[in-house]
Amino acid sequence: MIHAFIYRDEFLVLDVESGAVHSLDELSFDIIRAIELGNDVYALPYSDTEIDEVLVEIAELRNIGQFDSPAPAPIIRNAADSPIKSMCLNIAHDCNLRCRYCFAETGEFHGGRMLMPIETAMAALDFLISHCGARHHLEVDLFGGEPLMNFEVVKQIVAYGRELERIHDKEIHFTMTTNGMALNDEISDFINREMFNLVLSLDGRRNIHDALRITANGKGSYDTIVPKMQKLIDDRGDGEHYIRGTFTANNLDFTEDVKALTELGFEQISVEPVVLPASDPLSINDTNVDKAIAEYDRLANYVIERKNAGNPINFFHFYVDLDASPCLAKRSLGCGAGVEYVAVAPNGDIFPCHQFVGNKAFLLGNVFEDELDDTLRSSFAGCNIFTKEKCAHCWAKYYCSGGCAANANNLNGSIMEPPEISCKLLKKRTEIAIGMALDRKRGA
Amino acid sequence: MKHIKNVQTPCIKNGENTGCGECQASCQSACKTSCTVANQKCIKSAK
Repeated sequence: MIHAFIYRDEFLVLDVESGAVHSLDELSFDIIRAIELGNDVYALPYSDTEIDEVLVEIAELRNIGQFDSPAPAPIIRNAADSPIKSMCLNIAHDCNLRCRYCFAETGEFHGGRMLMPIETAMAALDFLISHCGARHHLEVDLFGGEPLMNFEVVKQIVAYGRELERIHDKEIHFTMTTNGMALNDEISDFINREMFNLVLSLDGRRNIHDALRITANGKGSYDTIVPKMQKLIDDRGDGEHYIRGTFTANNLDFTEDVKALTELGFEQISVEPVVLPASDPLSINDTNVDKAIAEYDRLANYVIERKNAGNPINFFHFYVDLDASPCLAKRSLGCGAGVEYVAVAPNGDIFPCHQFVGNKAFLLGNVFEDELDDTLRSSFAGCNIFTKEKCAHCWAKYYCSGGCAANANNLNGSIMEPPEISCKLLKKRTEIAIGMALDRKRGA
Repeated sequence: MKHIKNVQTPCIKNGENTGCGECQASCQSACKTSCTVANQKCIKSAK
């Protein structure tokens, strides 16, 4: 499989199965594009001599495994034997914001507001340790709702995790996703000391953010959180973090939101499409997805302008390191939801990931019991780029690894059916990311 | 070659010394709603 595309006026072709990329002149681009689309190359407005010349070069590349390479044998996983290495702890099913696009019912997760007791959090970590096998690196994401609404348990569970690291010779990377409302000096110091990675939710421009990320009283949260986030990130130095925004139908000009974030001093940025049913007025759907795709080109130009001006920013979805990239197993496994990644509700119930929390059809078990629903786990293990019809024939499969199972289930009613809108956006971002990676390699 | 220039050699590693599973779970890095793996680094390559 191949994919020909244009990145900022450069003609490129990706050899999907090997990851090789070639730069093309217009003649070879047209021919390779015709091959990709299954069209007759001799119907193109070039002489047979010109076309044959390109076909000879293609044959040479094919012979060395860099053009239309064969697909590898599918990687089969047995869910029951798979270690769990990553856990999302829903520390609080409560939130001090009422964001209009929240997938978690503004923190309730279909089950009412509740904070996770420390006993449940400890049982969850014990469960992780007992199911992680030989994995040395483990991850625990402190999530919600808003995890800082349960800060005492956050502190206690991190301390417990450090104890488990010593006892079991593991390395636990704690991460947190927070809206920043409860940040203060004590909490910020704790986060910067203990959190391996940090995601701060901020949508960009004040009016965009405040339209959707509101308090229980209906007021915007921007002015409360921005100074706190700025101080936290200033103090964090080189520590890993992302400012994570959401774009909706309200701000299809989201480049302006990325600009607004950079003007606040943030350099690690992830602004992502909202995931809502097409009927929702905020959704990215068939009527506006082309605008969003075009906006990615505009955003790419802005990112490149910043780099050329000596003020680079890292836009999460435009970054791919081609040489140090994940292996085939990782690319086919994806997020590992339900297999090596699980989420735990405040009552100890275990779900395949944070987005499934509260959905009883996806209940895997409970941290106070040892058993997991291996039938359900197997359905997630069997949901991958080799088994999903749409993914098996998609050029971007090794970059998204089949996409988000929860989004597929929420929008299409099956974890096996990736939503088309998400796929379109992912493909555009991937083309840009590959192009930018090549620019970096060439020192451009 | 006259028309086609290689700018990236094959980079999707497979087989021996792959699949150790020590890398970060992809959905916990920054995106809690959109899965992406390729922007992560192999933990072995990163060391």
